Amino acid sequence: MSEPPHPYDRRFVFVTGKGGVGKSTVTAMLALRSARRGARTLVCELNTQERVSCLLGHQPVGGTVTCIDRNLWAVNISPALAMEEYALMKLRFRAIYKLVFENPVMESLVRFVPGINDLLMMGKAFNHEREVDEEGQPAWDRVIIDAPATGHGVTFFKLPRTIRDAVPAGNMHREAAAMWALLTDPVRTAVHVVCLPEELPVRETTELHARLKGELGLPLGHVFLNMVPPPLFDAEARADFDRLLERPADPRLGLLWDVSRIRLAREALAAGYARELEALDMPIVRLPIQYTATFERPQIEALLETLPA
Amino acid sequence: MTGIEDLLRDRRLLITAGSGGVGKTTTAAAMAMRAAQGGRRVAVLTIDPAQRLADALGLDALGGTLKQVDPGHFEAADLRCEGQLFAMMLDVKTTGDQMVRRFAPDPATAQRILDNNYYRYFSASLAGAQEYMAVEQVRTLVEDDAFDLVVLDTPPAAHALDFLDAPERMLSALDSKAMQVLRGGGDESLAARLLGRGRGLVIKSINKLTGGPFIEELTDFFILFGSILDAMKASSRAVQALLRDDGTRFFLVTAPYRANVDEALHFRRQLDSRGFPFGGFLVNRVHRPVPTVTDDPTTLAHALDELSDLPLDRRERVVSGMLAGLTAHARMAERDREAIARLDRLADAPLVVVPLLPEDVRDLRGLDRVARSLTA
Repeated sequence: MSEPPHPYDRRFVFVTGKGGVGKSTVTAMLALRSARRGARTLVCELNTQERVSCLLGHQPVGGTVTCIDRNLWAVNISPALAMEEYALMKLRFRAIYKLVFENPVMESLVRFVPGINDLLMMGKAFNHEREVDEEGQPAWDRVIIDAPATGHGVTFFKLPRTIRDAVPAGNMHREAAAMWALLTDPVRTAVHVVCLPEELPVRETTELHARLKGELGLPLGHVFLNMVPPPLFDAEARADFDRLLERPADPRLGLLWDVSRIRLAREALAAGYARELEALDMPIVRLPIQYTATFERPQIEALLETLPA
Repeated sequence: MTGIEDLLRDRRLLITAGSGGVGKTTTAAAMAMRAAQGGRRVAVLTIDPAQRLADALGLDALGGTLKQVDPGHFEAADLRCEGQLFAMMLDVKTTGDQMVRRFAPDPATAQRILDNNYYRYFSASLAGAQEYMAVEQVRTLVEDDAFDLVVLDTPPAAHALDFLDAPERMLSALDSKAMQVLRGGGDESLAARLLGRGRGLVIKSINKLTGGPFIEELTDFFILFGSILDAMKASSRAVQALLRDDGTRFFLVTAPYRANVDEALHFRRQLDSRGFPFGGFLVNRVHRPVPTVTDDPTTLAHALDELSDLPLDRRERVVSGMLAGLTAHARMAERDREAIARLDRLADAPLVVVPLLPEDVRDLRGLDRVARSLTA
């Protein structure tokens, strides 16, 4: 068997991690990288306050697939739209759709199926992966999905398998089985995990890694370690600074010494957490903190610069 | 406006909510700890599947049961605790099963529900079931005389709303006409009709979407579940009343960034529109303002007497590094100040600032530092 392609080169890409670690940032960066290299790329956000399109300097796009840059499209998938799309595809007639879905009994049934929203959203992302254009060619070279946060995320990834096993036959079973086959395919799919150099995100990443790999057997990509404080000093200056064992007498230098020590403490913490992550068999990509007042497209571009080619 | 200190003393239920990564769990734990130290019997609950709370409280593992934080941990950290502090992580499976057992008319019906494939799929594996089941557990604890205060940590914003809306959603689903028809007894029950008579277009269509046996499991589930709905309905009403009770306060935890602040403001409007009583905003990990240093590196290098044995250019490089650190910090402090000012301007609610700590919160001592800024 030949080696699977590099995770950046796969067609179906998920970005997950603990809440607030920068999943949207990494999604935006990977999307920009992919589009820049000439791949027709679609970014999917799942029913959230849109961030990726905004980070790339575009208005929120909503539920319509919208071109936001050269080779780059975005969509915010909502469960209601996904449901309508799926049902219309399967039932073929809008009149039947209306009869079924604008029926109060069905409405109650749907309300009582927790997870159905996630399934529908994942199903729509999945349909984009296999979508074809008029000539029968794949419509997208790459679909990148800003996945839900850890915890909820594992449930989300497990969903197709759960449904495949819970629903014995029929369309839903077939769909779920096909989705699961795609999710676990190391040739087409990569799941990236975003992490911060802090204790709890690192622990969660370690747990997530174990569950995604062990329990679910998903093809993992990289760990993106976000907000790594860049070194304040080069090696020589650092050694010289470390000779200042006490606060310098000059009050200006005293203040500088205080602030630098806090920063160096964070640098040391971050380095320690990075070492813990090295124990996982996932390549680590370090993304530096940018000390800027805003975080927008220029900061995404700057991060992209730091990625190895 | 009532300060946090007072709320910790006299409320029954405090809920922290907000977007991910802002320190909700830590904040909830710090509030619970402070209230316990003040002499109350406090239970802190998280419905986030991660083990964060356990970490911060120095517990090895949190299952679906309440565990008391060893008073020895307080002593070891040189902290006083007049009351008692309990912690637990709400476990979906346990909570759902407990609810079925609690509300079912008899053990046999409970067992039939628990054995139903659809129930198993519904309760164990799927997102949303957790929030759905969790609120009942919270209510039970609030009503338990063994505790004076329950502190609840909710999952990140989008799902925190799911959590808050779950009881309402359940009630409205239970109250819907369709459900009443579905629950009607014997031949009148729609579920019975769906199962019994020739299948109409609706059921055919549903089957086409899902697969036949699944819908039968589902209707079977509804018939069984009908037997416990009245009890659940009463409970759900009680939860709604509890969330709106004056003994309850919601706190929004946010990071000092523009995007987070806007999210928090949005969340506040959602709380208000639901009539949930608001306690205040907690802005976490704020960079303290620092004075500026305007002198150039050469001037400062000359003043660095402690390294006077080094050539001037090496002293300059040390000073330049330190100046870069100060500039970065000052920029973050300014960014934080602007975000907080914006929140203060638009919020019209109490606002507490918790400074960025040089180290992570991982034990009671760390929690105590957070608690001190909360109640300062």
